[in-house]
Amino acid sequence: MLFSKQLPIAYNKRFLWAVGIILAVLMVLGPVYLLIKYSISDIGSINTGGEPIPLWPYNPTLQSYIYLFTDKHFYQVIFSSFIVAFSTVVFSMVIGVPAAYILGRYHIPGRKLVLLGIISVRLFPDIVSVIPITEFFINTGLHQTFAGVILAHSLLALPYVIFIGIGAFESIPLDLEQQAWVMGANRYQTFMKILMPLAVPGLAAAAIYTFLLSWDEFIFAYYIVFGRQELFTLTLYLNGIKHAAPQNLLAAISVCLSVPVVIFSFMVQRYMIAGISTGSVK
Amino acid sequence: MISSFFCNSIEWIKKAWPLIPAALYLTGFQIIVFVYLCTLSFSDQNIDLPSIHQYTQLFSDNSFRQALFNTVLFTLIGTPLELLTGFFLALLLYQSFFLRGLIRSIFLIPLAIPALVTAMLLYILFDYPGGHINHLLTGGYPPFPAFLSQPVNWRGSALFAMGISLLGKVWRDMPISMLILLAGLNSIDPELFDAAKTMGASFRKRILNIMLPLMLPSISTVLLLRTVEMWKEFIFPYILAGRYRLLGTLIDFYYYSVGNSHKAAAVAMIMVLCILISTVMLFKTLELMQKAIYKR
Repeated sequence: MLFSKQLPIAYNKRFLWAVGIILAVLMVLGPVYLLIKYSISDIGSINTGGEPIPLWPYNPTLQSYIYLFTDKHFYQVIFSSFIVAFSTVVFSMVIGVPAAYILGRYHIPGRKLVLLGIISVRLFPDIVSVIPITEFFINTGLHQTFAGVILAHSLLALPYVIFIGIGAFESIPLDLEQQAWVMGANRYQTFMKILMPLAVPGLAAAAIYTFLLSWDEFIFAYYIVFGRQELFTLTLYLNGIKHAAPQNLLAAISVCLSVPVVIFSFMVQRYMIAGISTGSVK
Repeated sequence: MISSFFCNSIEWIKKAWPLIPAALYLTGFQIIVFVYLCTLSFSDQNIDLPSIHQYTQLFSDNSFRQALFNTVLFTLIGTPLELLTGFFLALLLYQSFFLRGLIRSIFLIPLAIPALVTAMLLYILFDYPGGHINHLLTGGYPPFPAFLSQPVNWRGSALFAMGISLLGKVWRDMPISMLILLAGLNSIDPELFDAAKTMGASFRKRILNIMLPLMLPSISTVLLLRTVEMWKEFIFPYILAGRYRLLGTLIDFYYYSVGNSHKAAAVAMIMVLCILISTVMLFKTLELMQKAIYKR
């Protein structure tokens, strides 16, 4: 049967429903198509001299991508983004996973308060906390350094790491841990040999999520790196050339920025959805 | 008493020490943020702490009042819009049908695309004079009718610039509201609908009298989370609205264009206050609504 009885729709409403689905899919995929189309447009399909821009480029070409990937500066930008994102993952996992382990396995007093505090970090506006943090970094010499960006991104990522990690550790049955204890393993051994291997899928999702968060983060990177072109990450690079570059190049950079995010997002979709339903993901 | 507290905290540390680095990191930064916000916003380059000079200045500043007004409008229009689009998508998915998983994944795409990219795409599409939207509306793609005789400078007009920012924001965030509402829908027992149908309730009545009251908790979650997100919006107006500012872009304007971190901090402080006030107000209203509905 094609339809469940969840919300019984009368037959005459099914047509409406189908129209709705088609409209919604167009609404979502239309812009995505246009972005890809722009990125493979030749310059003649963008500067048309008053003619309507074609819905499919006159001479589809990969020249914007070829230009980008033969440009040394672009590699440097990607490398910067990668360094920042990777370091953020390492740092936030190192301090986030132990915290998630405690919150997921033990009912320590004050647990609710800690969780509430963690969520409130997420709800605090980025654009508000970026001003004091930038000022603080200026005073401590971390302004215009990768270290500053990494520390700031870890601040954003920690709540996610902890929440996804709690979920991963909570789902492991208590018996396993107790059996290890009975057999004489200490807490460190139980953690490393029993819990960690079982929590790996969830923790991997947290790591991927953190990587993506740092990869497409703009506000903090923009404020902390401000003015030092050689440290620009991909988002800053895109923002920096928005007035100067031709639209097909802007679109091509946008695609390069989005592709890893889209692919990996679907890999961690399950964890992301769980996070959104509990309100921990924005 | 004191010694027992001391013993307890030793016990606590023994047990929960792996939590401490993360806790210190998060609280440390929160303290830094709070202290810097206060010291910056309650002083000025040549005026010592404490002074409310910044705030009195702001409220007589036209660009601040305009930004505050814009943000209130942005929030008031954007929040219901996100709820409605989310509800629309959730209702579409609240059927089990062939390819449901695929369609759901497609609906999640906007969330996976970085906000900066979405903003950049709208920047390209709403270009003047030769963007896609202008060509569409001036009749460049028959059979689509021509609505305009002249191309519009979208990003150059306050109303349209705000409108495009809102469009981008809503498009990107639709999936979040959708997922929360879908979870709410799935927690309703479908037998309720069947029972109501058997007793002769119309489609409209089933929606209004059964679904909406039961959905109120998830609707409240969406409204509360989305209002906060709307208040703090930065990236879309930053790319798309230029000199027509929301509070978020006004902070940026004061910080980098004017070079006055004190003023920027004061605006930031006011934004936090606005978020707190509107959240409390919304929370109280929703509580009252819930009570009224259950009484009936």
